[in-house]
Amino acid sequence: MNPAENGSKEPEPVESVPSVESDIPEERIAARRLRIAARIEAKKREALGDDPDPKKEVKQELKSEKQVEQSRQRLTKLKSDGTELVTNIQVAADSRESQRRTDEAEARRQRTERLESEAKMSLEKFEDITKKWTMARSKEVPQDLWEMLNVQQQQCALLIEDKNKLINDLQQELKASDDRYVKDLKKQAEDIDLMIERMEEQIKNLMKSYREELNQIEKSFELERRELLDSNHNKWEQMMQYRRDKELQFLMMRMKRVEEQERQLQQLRVQDAEEYNMIKIKLETDVQILEQQLQQMKATYQLNQEKLEYNFQVLKKRDEENTITKSQQKRKITRLQDILNNVRIKLTKQDKQFREENHGLTEDYKRIMEQYKEMQKKMKHFANVDAKKFQEIWLMNEEEIKELVQRALETDRIIHEQQLGLTWEKPHLPFMERSGPIVPEHKKKKLALQLAEEVIRSKGNTDAAEEWEAVCAPGTLSDSLPFQEQDRLDTGDTEISADQSLKISVKTIKRLLEILCDETGFLIESKLLKLLSPLEKDEQSLMKLDAIFMALGIENEEDVHKLADFFIRYRQQQTVDGKDADEDESPGKSESHAQKEIGDGSSHRSSSSDLIHPNNVLQALRDFTKEHCKPRDKSQKLFNLNERDDSKDAAYWEDMVNVIPESKLKVWDALYNALEKYHHVLTERMKLINETDGMKQQNSELRMLLHQYVNSRVNAELEIPPTQVMQIESSWN
Amino acid sequence: MPDVIGNPDKRVFTPGRLPQISEPVMRLNPASDPRKMRRIIAEDPEWSLAIIPLLRDLCLQHIVKNFENNPILNELHPSHRAKVLEKLSTKLPLKVTANLISDEGYWNRCCTERWGVCDVACYENSWKRMFFERHLEKIIELFIPDVTDIKTVLDVVPLCKNYVKKLNISQLLPPVKEQQMNEDDNASDTASDLGHEGPSIDHFDFCTLLDKLTHLEELHLVYGVTGCGMNFEWNLFEFTYRDCQSLAKALKSCKTLKVFRIHQSKVDDEKVRLLISSLLDHPFLTVLDLSHNLIGDRGARAIGKLINERKMKSVTVYDNKIRAHGAQAIAYALTKNTTLTSLNLRLNQIGDEGGQAIAHALLKNATLTNIHLGSNELTEPTATVLSQVLVQNKTLRNINLSCNRLGLDGGKQIQEGMSYNTTVVEFDVRLTEIGQESEYSISQILQNNREKARKKPITESGVKK
Repeated sequence: MNPAENGSKEPEPVESVPSVESDIPEERIAARRLRIAARIEAKKREALGDDPDPKKEVKQELKSEKQVEQSRQRLTKLKSDGTELVTNIQVAADSRESQRRTDEAEARRQRTERLESEAKMSLEKFEDITKKWTMARSKEVPQDLWEMLNVQQQQCALLIEDKNKLINDLQQELKASDDRYVKDLKKQAEDIDLMIERMEEQIKNLMKSYREELNQIEKSFELERRELLDSNHNKWEQMMQYRRDKELQFLMMRMKRVEEQERQLQQLRVQDAEEYNMIKIKLETDVQILEQQLQQMKATYQLNQEKLEYNFQVLKKRDEENTITKSQQKRKITRLQDILNNVRIKLTKQDKQFREENHGLTEDYKRIMEQYKEMQKKMKHFANVDAKKFQEIWLMNEEEIKELVQRALETDRIIHEQQLGLTWEKPHLPFMERSGPIVPEHKKKKLALQLAEEVIRSKGNTDAAEEWEAVCAPGTLSDSLPFQEQDRLDTGDTEISADQSLKISVKTIKRLLEILCDETGFLIESKLLKLLSPLEKDEQSLMKLDAIFMALGIENEEDVHKLADFFIRYRQQQTVDGKDADEDESPGKSESHAQKEIGDGSSHRSSSSDLIHPNNVLQALRDFTKEHCKPRDKSQKLFNLNERDDSKDAAYWEDMVNVIPESKLKVWDALYNALEKYHHVLTERMKLINETDGMKQQNSELRMLLHQYVNSRVNAELEIPPTQVMQIESSWN
Repeated sequence: MPDVIGNPDKRVFTPGRLPQISEPVMRLNPASDPRKMRRIIAEDPEWSLAIIPLLRDLCLQHIVKNFENNPILNELHPSHRAKVLEKLSTKLPLKVTANLISDEGYWNRCCTERWGVCDVACYENSWKRMFFERHLEKIIELFIPDVTDIKTVLDVVPLCKNYVKKLNISQLLPPVKEQQMNEDDNASDTASDLGHEGPSIDHFDFCTLLDKLTHLEELHLVYGVTGCGMNFEWNLFEFTYRDCQSLAKALKSCKTLKVFRIHQSKVDDEKVRLLISSLLDHPFLTVLDLSHNLIGDRGARAIGKLINERKMKSVTVYDNKIRAHGAQAIAYALTKNTTLTSLNLRLNQIGDEGGQAIAHALLKNATLTNIHLGSNELTEPTATVLSQVLVQNKTLRNINLSCNRLGLDGGKQIQEGMSYNTTVVEFDVRLTEIGQESEYSISQILQNNREKARKKPITESGVKK
């Protein structure tokens, strides 16, 4: 076995390390493959994160592993050799068997061949013989026949002999094969014995070598262990040394530190002692002071104690008194309790009484309420009747007065035209066109909604809006123009706002309304919104505005304008850039506007495109409602109570009366006076004319008389005729 | 002194006990009279206070004695149970012990007492299994049809069916005939007698047994007689057609069977076909061994079909009469099968034609690891194809080509093929006349491959860790 081992060991290194420079191509291929495999392995290791360090470790541990590897190889070799040795027998038997089979097959083939040839031959011979039998029958000579029979017999014998020979041969072969079988059996037994022997031997060998190898491996392990132990021991020693050094060092350091700290401690101790002394002295003085205080306090305590004792005595006395009073009070309480009970009874009685009374009164009240209602009904009726009557009376009076005015005017005209010779201009009299009782101004004003409608309808058509504005503005303004300047200075804010509001452009209002529409959606009921959804946008916004106005308490155009104005001012308040500057600049800006002469500020406001920021709308609205809600309530109440405002009536009628202004009246007075005088003159003149007429008549009569007289023969008979006299008289005149 | 020690009554020295000593003893033993023999024994190594055994021990003893009639075991405390099991007789009837005792120690005693030589490692280290398997084997091996009552077998079955996994039956006795009495007379022409005796020499019918053994996994059969000695007779080794039929039926009924082996039983083509037709739809069978039989090409074709249809792992048909055609059938099966790992065709006559067919099949197969083609009359042409197989196939590990005359050229071709191979671990080329050089180089390559194969699992396991 050893030679085999050695033989196997020698080529191994050569085989295990094939060189690239080898002569054999296979070896070179193998070498390259190995190289590639090694590279791939290295890559794999790297990928796995292994360092090449493990390799070194492996090298260090190699001694034992080498030993194990060697032993393993030797043992496997031994084992394979052993098994080969054992199986060799089987293989040999197999080969023998196969050989036997082939031989057998060959022999069988030969045998069958031989049998067949023999059969053929014997058949031929047999046929020969049978042929001869027929010939034998034809033979008549007995001798011939005998000969013939002899020959046949011989041939038959030959045939049989041949057969027997064959049989003998076969039997011999059989015997031989039997022998061979026995031999084979023996051989097999031998083989088995051999096999067992070899097996046993191998087992023995294996056991031995295993033990040896085990020993060797153990030895190597022990060696390695010892080495490891040594190295570890060394390392341990080193580490210990290191540790010792370190400990020493630490000890030194520690001692140093201890010294230092002791010094510090000493220092601290001294300091602390000083401090302690200081504090001690201080505290002692404190103690003295406190003792003094204590003494004082004690004195005061003494005093207090005496006082308190005195007080105690007093209180005791009081207590006694109190007990007395208490009993008295108790008695009183009982008495009062009695009274209370009496009073209670009374109270219940009274209560009952009052309840009854109350009942009666409520019934009365009901009755009165009914009466009151009836009265109200009546009142309403009468109010209506009164109103009608009032209207009728008003109309009648108005008619009357209108006639009067007409007449006055007519007279005025006549006076002007006829008397004064002036052209007469008809004054503008608005009340003349109107009839019926005066409706208060605010009623006449457009409703806010109407305004909104107009504004919104005019959407997009700015020209129309401006036109509208132009139409509405002059009507109100033409009269108030002269007043305006004065009013602005002294009259209240409302007046100004009312004036100004008219001048706020439609655009601004529209914008305002839109903002309101957008921002105050919460004021609208959700139901309404649902209902509105199918309507047009304008309609929708109108309805919304209606709701919003309702909520805000805005009723008429004025309020809308107020609101707008408020918003604008609100914005201005917020952006305090100085109103003056604004107003100075405004004329330039408002050139395009139709009413640029009126109200610089207002025109500017209307033109300012950004009215108010939507985010501020709510705050603004809140302020607005705060400011404007109260007055409204009052006026509302008044209006309701008086039913009708007759404040303007007087003015109205006054207007009627003042159809002819004061100056005219003065003119009239003057004219009257002049005419009076003229009349007087005329009357005088008339009188005089009448006198003259009389005189003329008298004159003519007298003339006639004279003439008669003159012409009378009498006169001729007179020495001086009257004619002469007359002449003389005229000359005298 | 010794007589005192020997005396069971050790309380001799206590004076208070005197009246209990019976008269004859007093008479016989003068030492019993303390007045005559007044001694104190200082040291007595066998001195024990427990003269009367504990009641517990007595009870246990009683249980052991009457175990046959009243088996009490599982109700006992574990320590007591161990004591009982220690003392139980191995002669107890199996009816009592079979399903009651699971302790290995008891069955160990049973086995060693009965057979002496036992290798428990062959029975998964279960003494109980070993006992029952060998017991049943013995009964079947000694069963003589028409003579032994079938009940002897069937009685044992319910006792051992839970433990028997493997049946290794090394002989099956033929029925005893009248002729057997005279067989010495006409032993010379037994062959002629056998012809008309055929149907009457059926062996033990496995139908009755196999379907009852619900855990049986392995079945090894030999239809023959061992140790017949000079009573040899051909009909002792006859495997009749009816035997075969009943066996096929039995195999079909035994669904748990995994390994089936029938040796030296003169199984010819017809019988193989019958057996295999019953095995074709067997659910678990993976190993089939039909060695030392008379299977020819038709039987081989049937085996090929079985390999194809079933998921066989190992097929062994050595020492049969398979020729080229049968080998071709098996080769065809090899190309289709993906489970077979081992194929043994030793000592057949497949010749070059069959060898080439199998080698071609191996080019396509990727599961077979072991193949044995020893003593198959293969020569150089097979070697050329095999060298190609060696280059291409990466799964073959063991190849055996021994006793085939491959010749020098064939050896060179195989050597060349081996030089490209890295997986074959064993390659038997003994007695193939391939020349020393080739043999040597092949052995070197094999050694290399072995080293690689050894290192592979180590590195793999290392990587896994």
